[in-house]
Amino acid sequence: MSQQNSEPTIYDGLMFVSLGAVIIGIVFLVLSLNGYGWSSGS
Amino acid sequence: MNNVVGKILIVLQLVFSLCFMCFAGAAFTFHEGWKKKADTLQSKLVNTEQQLSEQQSQRQQETANLTAELTAMKTRAEMAEARVTGIETSLNQAVGNLANAEQQRDKHLADLAVAQQEAQARIAETTDARSENLRLNGRVVEGISVRRTLEDNLLDRQGRIDEATQREQQMLAELARLRGLLRFNKIDPSDAVVGPVPAAVEKVTGVVTASKKNESRSAELVTISIGSDDNITKGMSLIIFRGAKYICEIQVTEVYPDVSVGRVIEETRNGNIERGDNVTTKL
Repeated sequence: MSQQNSEPTIYDGLMFVSLGAVIIGIVFLVLSLNGYGWSSGS
Repeated sequence: MNNVVGKILIVLQLVFSLCFMCFAGAAFTFHEGWKKKADTLQSKLVNTEQQLSEQQSQRQQETANLTAELTAMKTRAEMAEARVTGIETSLNQAVGNLANAEQQRDKHLADLAVAQQEAQARIAETTDARSENLRLNGRVVEGISVRRTLEDNLLDRQGRIDEATQREQQMLAELARLRGLLRFNKIDPSDAVVGPVPAAVEKVTGVVTASKKNESRSAELVTISIGSDDNITKGMSLIIFRGAKYICEIQVTEVYPDVSVGRVIEETRNGNIERGDNVTTKL
């Protein structure tokens, strides 16, 4: 349990950084698809 | 150990996430550029298609115009060929006509040369005929003068014949009267003549010295220059003439030694008696 209450390490930050990068990459892909008339609903 | 693997996986996840983000950003960026370029090209394509359609319509119109012009040109060319053919035919015909005309011209020139030669010959003949005509005219004039001379001679001879005929008639009448007188006196003309024989009348010539009418103007009296000295006797017939022209005959009524008077026998009159006319006992 002590381990679960431990302070976030650098790897946790890297995990968030990687999450942010993945989100930004998805946004780019969505924008690219919108350029070709893509819509998420259909 | 698990922490090491987890850390490695986290790092790998970070690296791949970053790579994904970079590739997604690059794809977005390139896609934007490509999209702009595609839009530009699309608009250019549309414009080009419009221009192409306009050009095609113009080309079709020009093609139609050119086709019509070509048809018209073909028609004109056919007409021109037909005209050229006709002109060639006419030209050939004209050349033939020209050849015929040249032949006829040569023939006519030859005929003209012959005609000129004939004309020269005719001119020479005409000149000869004119000279002959002049010569004949001269002869005709000479003949006319000779004929007139002969006619004058004929008239003279005719007058003399008439005179001789009248004298013959007078002589016959005188002979009949003398025969009657002889028969009345019971003298036979066949008997020999007894007594002086009158001398034969000799040819004596003289001239008329005067001529005038008698008082009763019934006869014309003529005075001549010969008389009894020239054996002129009363009752003798004398002949008055002028040159070769016979005028009349007179009968002596009065006789003097060198002058006599005679009466004109009107039946023998053939002209006026003038002073100087010749008188003779016989021609």
